[in-house]
Amino acid sequence: MKEFFSNKRKVRGFKEFLMILPFILLVLVFSYYPLYGWVYAFFDYKPPFPLSWDKFVGLKWFRSMVENEVKLKQLLMVLRNTFAMSGISLFFSWFPMIFAIFLNEIKCKPFQKVVQTVTTLPNFISWVLVYSIAYSVFSSTGVVNSIGMKLGLWDTPQMFLQSADHIWFKMWLWLTWKNAGWAAIMYLAAIAGIDESLKEAAKVDGASRMQIIWHITIPSILPTYFVLVMLNLANFLSNGMEQYFVFQNAFNKDAIQVLDLYVYNLAMGSGGYSLSTAISILKSVVSLVLLCCTNKISKLVRGEGFI
Amino acid sequence: MRPVDYKVNLFAQGAEREGIMKSKKIISLLCATAMMASVLAGCGGSSAPTESASSDTDSTAATETTTETATETATETTDAGSGDVMTLEFFDVAANYQGVQTGWFAKVVKDRFNIELNIIAPQVAGDAIYQTRASSGNLGDVLILESGQFKECVEAGLVKDISADIWNYSNLAAYKEQIDMLNNGLEGNDGKTYGMPTEMMNTSPTSYSQDVIYSSPLLRWDLYKELGCPDIADLDGLLDVLEDMMKAHPTNEAGDPCYPMSLWPDWDGGDGMLGIANVVQLTTWYGEKIKGSVILKPDGTFIPLTDKEGSYYKMLKFLYEANKRGLVDPDSATQDWNAACAKMSAGQVYLMWYSWQVGFWNSVDRLKAGNAFIFVPVADQSYYTDADSYYGSGRVFAIGSQVDDAKYKKILEFLDWYASPEGLMFQHDGIEGFNYEKGDDGRLHAINTNALMDNLPVPEEWGGAGFNDGNNAINQWLVAANSTNPETGEAYNKDYWSTYKEETMTDMKKEWAEKFGAAEPVEYMKANNKLIISPNVSVSLPTDSADISVIRNQCNEAVCDYSWRMIYASDDAAFDAMWDEMTAFLDGVGFQDLVKFDTEKHTIELEAKKAVAK
Repeated sequence: MKEFFSNKRKVRGFKEFLMILPFILLVLVFSYYPLYGWVYAFFDYKPPFPLSWDKFVGLKWFRSMVENEVKLKQLLMVLRNTFAMSGISLFFSWFPMIFAIFLNEIKCKPFQKVVQTVTTLPNFISWVLVYSIAYSVFSSTGVVNSIGMKLGLWDTPQMFLQSADHIWFKMWLWLTWKNAGWAAIMYLAAIAGIDESLKEAAKVDGASRMQIIWHITIPSILPTYFVLVMLNLANFLSNGMEQYFVFQNAFNKDAIQVLDLYVYNLAMGSGGYSLSTAISILKSVVSLVLLCCTNKISKLVRGEGFI
Repeated sequence: MRPVDYKVNLFAQGAEREGIMKSKKIISLLCATAMMASVLAGCGGSSAPTESASSDTDSTAATETTTETATETATETTDAGSGDVMTLEFFDVAANYQGVQTGWFAKVVKDRFNIELNIIAPQVAGDAIYQTRASSGNLGDVLILESGQFKECVEAGLVKDISADIWNYSNLAAYKEQIDMLNNGLEGNDGKTYGMPTEMMNTSPTSYSQDVIYSSPLLRWDLYKELGCPDIADLDGLLDVLEDMMKAHPTNEAGDPCYPMSLWPDWDGGDGMLGIANVVQLTTWYGEKIKGSVILKPDGTFIPLTDKEGSYYKMLKFLYEANKRGLVDPDSATQDWNAACAKMSAGQVYLMWYSWQVGFWNSVDRLKAGNAFIFVPVADQSYYTDADSYYGSGRVFAIGSQVDDAKYKKILEFLDWYASPEGLMFQHDGIEGFNYEKGDDGRLHAINTNALMDNLPVPEEWGGAGFNDGNNAINQWLVAANSTNPETGEAYNKDYWSTYKEETMTDMKKEWAEKFGAAEPVEYMKANNKLIISPNVSVSLPTDSADISVIRNQCNEAVCDYSWRMIYASDDAAFDAMWDEMTAFLDGVGFQDLVKFDTEKHTIELEAKKAVAK
């Protein structure tokens, strides 16, 4: 012991270890301990009986996902929805960036602040409330139907919420309405970090506003954009379930049921815990593969990875 | 990489530096301490919110995550905090409200037992709360469970053995036959008592002593009379009548659009029956009853739900035809129960099919005015009903295995009162002087009959607030409302009091009696041989294995989704195509296994019923 304390290097190392310890614990408790729950995928788990009473079934639940055409079809449909909706988000991921650039160009400061506040606020509204807004606007007696029928645009109420038409795009619109302002904050910060002298020099050279945006602003914030896109890629399979949970109904479920929602519907309905755990495991594995792939691509394209 | 290195150096060698470096070190230490504290707080988090859970109605989220130890802490806190008030946690599958009981019923139990009722409602919090609480080893203090759950919980040791004490309580002991029947039905039980059935009665298991049945076609009498009281031959005839009503009255008095039928999806797949709850209920109009994934026919045979000859297909087609004629509320698939109820109260629907639905419209005034809802027979129908719930209605009252002695005693005292005439009067009739009063002749008279409907304010001496707000949130009774009250010799249910019957013998009721030749709907059904009474039994049925429960869940979801789409189908071809698609999908996820399981399961029940009927 005495030797340990007399060794300054070791004491320093120990102190540093103590400093990092809370974070190690945090990661262990919240990221690694839950992995123990994976064990449920290999049992016929049925509450209220403890796991030790249940039968070990090996890979039964994994096999049951693909054991016949109907189940396979359903799984593929769920994957299709997940990929489609994540794909659309990814495809339009430049939107908050452009929004931030244009917001920054507004010269009237009070107006700019108002726009920014109004677009950021929806981020703090929960999806349940967003749906109740949607319901009062689009239900058969909602604002849109009332106006439409009064103006004679249609005779019978239009069922906007019950239709599966363009549902992916509609979901993206809701998501954007909720998130665009919030996502723009990151870009606004990046824009604020651009060296003013670059812009001044461009102005002296006679560059127009659009030219400044195109040649200075956009190239300067592109690195931020790429980092965010890559982080999103790792989350490709987890596009959350709250939004789709509140908007789902019998008519649009085939198009709206994403992986997270599917797992929830399976497990919470009547306790298909083992099967849902099995699906979640597969999801985690695929996400891990996706993350490694994007990292590899990033290394090839940009010369540096992010892990 | 550079900035990180710099900071580490700064921390490590901070002691040897002066001034600004020192203060930075302190800040960083503070940060680390705060971080550590937050980690610890995160681990013990469940105990902090529960302190407020015991006193605050809105802390439902906190109650959900409560673990065993945290619950105990919460109770202790309350004990210390406000005298000797004891909080009983009710795990209650029947409750529609989650949180601490408030209003007049809270005052009634607090005055008598000095207890507070904290209700945990899976119907509000989601069924998952059953699984999470069960796996934590403590469901609650008082448990109100479905019979299958009760069986599982007894096996898993979550239910307290009450054999030694229950018979000391006279109001509970009065139902010994029924209580024994339930407990002896438990597999491998050697004479121990764990639970008490809900809604027991003191009549007989084969009689039916109500005037109306749970589900039958109910029409607005004034609108029906306006059309000249046409005889209705079949479902098409019913649609004709409804269509005429809608043409004559497209809106209610306030000018809101009326649709004869307004459905709601919240209850789909409930009560152990696959499919849309509204359709499932309508199948009893043709004497058939859905049991899980199979239909019990009047001749005592089972057919799969997906049989086109069965009543599920028939009633689904009925709703589809109704929608084609524009008689179904277009919001049906997306609105919730509350929205549907608001429409019933506002007079925006013309057909009701649950007996309780009339509670949202019928009042003594409306019965007098002749615009109340009443049963109108459809010639080709015969109705299924379950007999008096002599042995109970299927759910079970029990006590959690983790309660301490003091609490255990208190719970038994409370339950004894809950089954006593005084307790039952509060549950079924409300407050004396506000909901009813004793006449000079000793008979009870109902007053303020719209108290529940309009949430009338309760007098301050009874705790104030609205009557409905303070109504018994347990929402489940040990003894049914139609049992006889020994103190009055009449049923607890005010609709059956002689005074109430005299008062509601209005012109409307007389006209109805004259046309159909009977005083009450059930009398008419019995006289015309249109009532199939299924005897009440208490048997223990097998519960779902992990495989079956996954299949059941997937099948139910599919049946409900397809059913809603079929109601709104564009034409007959689309309707049938969807039906075929549905059956193909169901077979793919293992529907046949489920049918086999359910047939075997409900044959046990059927045999018991046959034995009682003999």
